[in-house]
Amino acid sequence: MAATPKKDLALHGLRVLDLSQVAAGPYATMFFGYMGAEVIKLESRFRMDINRGRARPGLNDPRVYPGGVQGERPYDRTAHHVHRNINKLSVTLNLAEPKGKELFLGLIKVCDVLVENYRSSVMDRLGLGYDSVSRANPQLIYLKISSQGATGPEANYGSLGSTLEQTAGLASITGYEDGLPLMTNEVYPDPVVGILSFGALMAALRRRRQTGRGCLVDLSQREVTSMLLGESVLDFSVTGRIAATMGNKHRDIAPQGVYSCLGEDMWVAVSAGTDDEWLGLCRAMGRHELAGDPRFKDTGSRQANHDALDEIISSWTRGLDHYQAMHLLQAEGVPAGAVLKGSETIIDPHIEARGFWDVVDHPEAGIYKQTTTPWILSKSPRQPTVPAAGLGEHNYQVLGGLLGLSISEIDTLVEQGITGDVPDPSA
Amino acid sequence: MGKWNVYRRPLPRTRFQVIWHIEMQSNEGVLSGIKVLDLSQGVAGPFCAKFLAGLGAEVIKVEPAGGDPARRARPFFGDSDNLESSALFAYLNTSKKGVTLDLDVPGQARSLKELAQDSDILVESFAPGYLDSLGLGYDDLSETNPGLIHVSVTPFGQAGPYRGYKGSDIVAQAMGALMYTIGLPDREPLKVGGESALYATGISAFSAAMLALHIRDTQGFGQHVDISAMDVMTVAQIHSSINEQFGHIPVRRPTNLVRAKDGWVSPGLESGVQQGTWPKICELMGVPELAEDDRFTTQEARRTNQQALLEVVGSWAATMPKEEIYHTLQSLRTITGYVATVEDLLVSKQYAEREFFRTLADPVYGDVVHPGPPFRMDDDGWQLFPAPRLGEHNEEILGGA
Repeated sequence: MAATPKKDLALHGLRVLDLSQVAAGPYATMFFGYMGAEVIKLESRFRMDINRGRARPGLNDPRVYPGGVQGERPYDRTAHHVHRNINKLSVTLNLAEPKGKELFLGLIKVCDVLVENYRSSVMDRLGLGYDSVSRANPQLIYLKISSQGATGPEANYGSLGSTLEQTAGLASITGYEDGLPLMTNEVYPDPVVGILSFGALMAALRRRRQTGRGCLVDLSQREVTSMLLGESVLDFSVTGRIAATMGNKHRDIAPQGVYSCLGEDMWVAVSAGTDDEWLGLCRAMGRHELAGDPRFKDTGSRQANHDALDEIISSWTRGLDHYQAMHLLQAEGVPAGAVLKGSETIIDPHIEARGFWDVVDHPEAGIYKQTTTPWILSKSPRQPTVPAAGLGEHNYQVLGGLLGLSISEIDTLVEQGITGDVPDPSA
Repeated sequence: MGKWNVYRRPLPRTRFQVIWHIEMQSNEGVLSGIKVLDLSQGVAGPFCAKFLAGLGAEVIKVEPAGGDPARRARPFFGDSDNLESSALFAYLNTSKKGVTLDLDVPGQARSLKELAQDSDILVESFAPGYLDSLGLGYDDLSETNPGLIHVSVTPFGQAGPYRGYKGSDIVAQAMGALMYTIGLPDREPLKVGGESALYATGISAFSAAMLALHIRDTQGFGQHVDISAMDVMTVAQIHSSINEQFGHIPVRRPTNLVRAKDGWVSPGLESGVQQGTWPKICELMGVPELAEDDRFTTQEARRTNQQALLEVVGSWAATMPKEEIYHTLQSLRTITGYVATVEDLLVSKQYAEREFFRTLADPVYGDVVHPGPPFRMDDDGWQLFPAPRLGEHNEEILGGA
């Protein structure tokens, strides 16, 4: 991607202080970085972003390191850190110490946006809740991403992506047809909330332009996740019907499912909802006689005879490569897609042609392909990916440049353990 | 344990804030004064425009005379032949006005062009190239309305070899490598339920539209926004592409849910649990001797011996209501979950206190409960009024045309 001058990037001049960790918050701030904002990722030497893993991981540590090698600075190499903390400066401050708090509030004064997703009460307990930070900077926008929202009896409950899928109801409609609820291994609510958080912050910035004041943005991950099954909530409130799992089937589309293809664990997803799509499916399979088969004459009958259809489709796909099946179906106007693995998405010709991936050379992790943004704007390009920073890599640049501390003052802070680029062994 | 009784159903309906009828609140909301033309159909585009409407924009939804196909999508409140009966449509199109225009008819295309001249944001979900073929593409419309933000929401985007391919929720989940790792090891890949991929695509379109509006506010120009469901799902797949490149192959995994008396819970004892919590849980479960059992004393050990752990916890959980387990173990600072059904959501005390659900009155079907604002900014309102009936605002907006 051709480099756009920094000053022409969409969010040039905005500064984000990012206390967030794991996935939802780091995703939101990663998008800010792509659009040109300066993002300062703030961690503590005693409590790093969970994405970084442990300061001294054991041999059985479940985190993913490039090539399985932990290296000298394992916390700069974990897959999740490398992947999600791109486009950010890395600074450490110990917020438990008065001096750390003071410097934090100094940074607050020169930032536009604060993002955090700790347990709901953590910032208040540190004395750094919305009241304190808005006093330091009334124009600050504070995005509080939390499990359950900033208020309510469960406000301080902890969550993971997988438990949010449960408590928000998403798991109750995800699963095979046997009714056992299942969660995604992709902790789906996190990226979705990350993407939405970006839009929420755009809204808050517009509000600031209108009012001249910052505000608290209260975003509950559980609530956002429940919005992904809104139609089932409306339906229950009127009819009393409780939505349940239905495997890969669809209420209005039949046939729909994944069908086995050539190779181990290879599949193609098909959904033929309209009569035209059904006729296209018959043509693609070379089974023209099925077009007149009364078992499959309309969506209702195809729904009723779904098992028989699945057998027919599988017997055709089984001899095909999953991409080949997709192309044959799409050529006949049938919605279909190969069930890709992560390693296949990075070489798929379509998103490659869209310029979706950035090739990144990370100093610790080496060369890899990086996920970028879920949008392409015709006149406002994103910046090329800046590799994830090592812990505390920008301490001197940020504390010196933004807060005016001298090198010797920062050296002293390092000696006192307030900042530094090596985690405490306990972290 | 009795203290959790307070969470039990049913909460009276009146706990929800009932909204009978709300006029356009054009002076409220961060998008007040912003005009949105919503030409999109189905799920993703309309969800984007719903969010813009919620923040106070004036949204005009344009449907063909036969209606958005979502009007014929299940679940239905009542008669499936009634175009005002789809819960999906009712959810996705709140707070919009509705007109009907057939773009293939030249006079009606002209009306659309006039509406677009007066719009800030246009959302559409047609196959790439279709609007251009009618002289209604971004290049045509921006010639006379250079500030226009044109948001295209499609399965594969406006460019690239699959741009003409058709999509669906499951197709997006497949192509983005989201679903390959979902489901059980001995079964086929499984999609996230409902229309989750399309909802996420709509959310991406919303965030991108807000970004484009920010750019227009600060730099003075509009532009074309390209949203592809496959791109969105590839972003939503947050482990597979990176883990595989780093040498770890993610696979479908067994579930860690255990059966409670009335459903399912995940006890959450494998991560995020403080030292000292495990003995308390053993006490609670009536098996204090396990506090010293090497198989379970550390998080790592509990992860290694997950199946044995699930059996121990499972025999305790089987006799208890899922929400009681959830509240009890959360109070010990574990990351516990319970599988809520839509019925459970509507009686969640957490949701009730936050007034997350809002009730709209439908003339035929009565009270309809809607999930509320996706986020809150101080006391800013979330504009919510019922989805338009087909062509409801033709007279008001199109006049005699």
